[in-house]
Amino acid sequence: MSDLDTQKRPSIFERKDVKQTVFFWVIFTAIIGYVGATAQARSMGASASETMSTTIHMIKVFTWVAAPIAGLVAAMAMTTLIGKIHFGDAPPEEADHQIRNSPRLTATWLVVSSVLCLFAVVWGTIVLQNDNAALLNPKAMNVNVTGQQWVWNFDYVDNGTVRSEDLYLPVNKPVVFHVTSRDVIHGFWIVQMGIKVDANPGYITTTSATPNKIGIYDLRCAELCGLYHAYMQKKVHVVSQSDYDAWIKSHGGQI
Amino acid sequence: MTTMMEHSASAPGHSAPKRALIERLNIFTAFGLGIIGAIVFWYLAKAILPANTDGSYIKSNRDQYVLFSMIGWLIGFMTGIGALIGPFRWLLGKDLNHDENMFYAGKDQGVKRYLRYTTDHKVVGIQYLVLTMIIFFVGGTLAMLIRTNLAHPGGGWLQPQTYNAIVGTHGIIMIVGTIIMVTGPFGNFIMPIMIGARDMAFPRLNALSFWLIVAAVPPILSSFFLGGISTGWVAYNPLASQAPPGMDGYIMFICIFALSTMVAGANITTTVIKMRAKGMTWNRTPIFIYGVVASVALALPAFPVFFLSQVMSGMDRATGSTFYNTTGGGSGWLYENLFWIMGHPEVYVILIPAVGALMEMAPVFTRRPLFSFNMAVMGIAGISGLSVLVWAHHMYTTGWAPLLSAPFMLTTELISIPTGLLFLVLIGTLWRGRLWMTMPAASIYALLWNFMIGGITGIYLSDVPVDGALHGSMYVTAHFHYTLMGTGLTGALAALVFWFPKMTGRMFDKTLSWVGFWFVQIGFNIAFGVMFFVGLAGQPRRVDAYAALFSRGNMITTGGAYLIMTGMLVMLYGVISSWRHGALAPMNPWFSKTLEWTVPNPVPLENFDVLPVVTSDAYGYGKAKS
Amino acid sequence: MSIETHEHSSPHHEHPDVVGSRNRLGVILLLVADISFALAVLFVYFYLKGQNVNDMWLPKASDTQDATVPVSSMGAWYVTIIAAFGLLSHRYALAGVRAKNQTQLVLGSGVAFVASLAALIYQATLMNNASFTITMGAYASCYYLIAGLNMVHLILTAFISLGNWNRSRLGIYVADHWHVDIVNVWWVWMTISSLLGAFALSFT
Repeated sequence: MSDLDTQKRPSIFERKDVKQTVFFWVIFTAIIGYVGATAQARSMGASASETMSTTIHMIKVFTWVAAPIAGLVAAMAMTTLIGKIHFGDAPPEEADHQIRNSPRLTATWLVVSSVLCLFAVVWGTIVLQNDNAALLNPKAMNVNVTGQQWVWNFDYVDNGTVRSEDLYLPVNKPVVFHVTSRDVIHGFWIVQMGIKVDANPGYITTTSATPNKIGIYDLRCAELCGLYHAYMQKKVHVVSQSDYDAWIKSHGGQI
Repeated sequence: MTTMMEHSASAPGHSAPKRALIERLNIFTAFGLGIIGAIVFWYLAKAILPANTDGSYIKSNRDQYVLFSMIGWLIGFMTGIGALIGPFRWLLGKDLNHDENMFYAGKDQGVKRYLRYTTDHKVVGIQYLVLTMIIFFVGGTLAMLIRTNLAHPGGGWLQPQTYNAIVGTHGIIMIVGTIIMVTGPFGNFIMPIMIGARDMAFPRLNALSFWLIVAAVPPILSSFFLGGISTGWVAYNPLASQAPPGMDGYIMFICIFALSTMVAGANITTTVIKMRAKGMTWNRTPIFIYGVVASVALALPAFPVFFLSQVMSGMDRATGSTFYNTTGGGSGWLYENLFWIMGHPEVYVILIPAVGALMEMAPVFTRRPLFSFNMAVMGIAGISGLSVLVWAHHMYTTGWAPLLSAPFMLTTELISIPTGLLFLVLIGTLWRGRLWMTMPAASIYALLWNFMIGGITGIYLSDVPVDGALHGSMYVTAHFHYTLMGTGLTGALAALVFWFPKMTGRMFDKTLSWVGFWFVQIGFNIAFGVMFFVGLAGQPRRVDAYAALFSRGNMITTGGAYLIMTGMLVMLYGVISSWRHGALAPMNPWFSKTLEWTVPNPVPLENFDVLPVVTSDAYGYGKAKS
Repeated sequence: MSIETHEHSSPHHEHPDVVGSRNRLGVILLLVADISFALAVLFVYFYLKGQNVNDMWLPKASDTQDATVPVSSMGAWYVTIIAAFGLLSHRYALAGVRAKNQTQLVLGSGVAFVASLAALIYQATLMNNASFTITMGAYASCYYLIAGLNMVHLILTAFISLGNWNRSRLGIYVADHWHVDIVNVWWVWMTISSLLGAFALSFT
């Protein structure tokens, strides 16, 4: 980053190693930022909720913010690697300087990393507040989730005594999950909605999401819960409101 | 100084009857007495403890018998190795005399001293090195079983129970292995010489810390035959209370290991604070020493909490107490808190000494002074200080305390600042140096690469909303392997090659070190780099079967794992062959300026004829400006 | 020649003050670990009390078992008082050894040993006489945990003070007495840890 203008020599930008570093820095930053952000976002696949979209967006932005730092370290490392390298059993001659410190570089580094850290914290807190506020949404529907070895049960408490093992949700309707467990700790995780909370015996935890796309999504257990943990997977069916109502009725609930 | 004139009274051939007991004890009597102790305690427990009839909380008596007999093993083993001689001699007022202390230090005993309760720090260092390699061999074999099983999506050839047991055992064994991999061998062998001391502050505690770990190994291995540790390395309750008696092996293992860490922590810290050579001010103390001390000093308050969590876990199983049993008023969150109060500092216990070792090597292989020594110290201190305040970031998604998520996010992300300083120091030292390309020097680059990836992915994970998507997925697995293995193990392997000449008197085979290095690093980045992406796509951790969607990524990871295995086997072969017939090492093969290179090979008992006086720090490389 | 140098300057022949201060630091560092353990025990107690999961901190009477009635914390306070008495008598012994008074040393450390035994026996009695078993709710479990920790501490104290008394009796501390100083450190912590336990048990 700004280490370049902190070296006290006037001819700093004319030095060969500095030029090389700047060159690599630009290239590496671009590669790391682009490849890191794109590849990670692509792996996360389709998003089925606003929460997940925000998460993907955050990963992309964090990658781009971290890229110049990683790029600088990589560029400096690369410059030292393409310089004179000594192989062999006897040591090379000593380096031609005894620089032990650079207060300005250190200070710059500290300030930059603090600012980036602050940025991450502030943004994360804002998003977190939104997520927390969603839990208190009075218009949200409520679903009770009970984990037990090795199935999930969903109770649609707003619709009478409907219970299912696959999760059915109407699209574009905020939903709050009240999660608990009968035996050991399970992890309630709807992959494409980017939400997760543990199901603890003796406690009720909450999380919320607003599915925004019709489709079938994955629900997995995210906390090792014994023998068939790997098989504790279910589907989440996000359907239109009318389909949802029909489904509820066919299972003996009321709207 | 008044005692300088004191002469040892006894003649060399003198062997009074009371020395005979010390002479007779060794690893074989230890194992013998340990086994006898285990059997005696088993039958004792059977005879004394009432048969469990009500069964409302207690599942059966078998946990009581297993735990009792493991305690019997520990007592028998420690008696058999001779650990109790010191305390009881103190009790009787017959302190060990000079000859006996010299015997304990392994004077004139040849190879036998490696099989005894030997107090010489160099013997302990070698013992730790061998033990670490054994632990890695076992843990690595388990890792290969895991990866082989995961090569196909539909569940492999391992039963789920076996698979879970392997995952749990691999986890805990590797955690312990990585905790001791730098502070054990190098912290014990190199550190006292590096600060110009003749031995550790408490040589007998040093031996105790090592033999405690040896005593802890049979319980963890026995768990394979008792149903396995099917709970992952974290052993969350209440799952752990359901687990078969193999869990008791885990509990004993952790309790004994925590004792060992505590003893080692007090010992190493005291040594560094009190026994540095004359003139070695804190400014002149090598950075590796800071790394080691930060690591063990961090472990000192952290591991007792882990100890307690396992004591309570054992009580729940054996006595039917209800610390974690929610139907009886217990709480799983209590366990998670206690576990991670230890668990997060422990990550830095692993990381810091490895990074410290590489920071120590950086000036040697760039022939220039360490860049910004102060920042290196501040980075280490900052990480250590913050690390005790971040444990709940492992618990964002537990629902434990949603209001505390934001403060813990703050403390967690603050750690990136001191961590960044470590990068600054390393890259600053490489910059404008005269690079001497050896395997340790290449490891510095590997560390920068791996630690950068591990660090940045850590920032994603520290963010609460993002963690909601990634927690419990393979992304986390990849992340911590990048920090613990990509950073920690890289540093430890470099340290092995770097200090091998001093520890064994022979050079580590150069070709083998390079072959091992490339296999490990390439394999590592293939295996765990790809693992990030299957994690992002949604593969949970600790599963023995997964959706077809993840099959390609897992196949590649498994391939990478085999490359790592090859590299590690090459390194193992390198250690064995170089140790046996490597080229004899000169006193200072790397032309380094730290004190351990000023003593001859092999390092004599008590290291220094005349204690050194230090007049400058160890980083005076480079040509002065004309 | 070189071997002789080793023997002369062996670490086992350093000045007692150097060795003493080193040992003192080592013991204090070990105590850091023990303090951490004890504080974690308090954390467990207050966490479970605060959570009161399923209302089972102190279970109400049911068909199968009686309600858990918390014990009076006075017993734990008595243990603390006995430990404090042991600390005081050890300090008396310490004053004795500093004043080169062998009788005072032996007397003080002997009384301290007796105090540790008394506290040990009393603590064991308390545990035996509790009106509940360890399975009866979180409070019961925590009570036994705290009492158990105190027992372990007291057993160590008994061992240490027995050794200290024996060594005083044998006249080992005439030359240098840093052992007695360090045993004092332990007694202080013994008293404090016992006090912490009694403090916790005062809140039911």
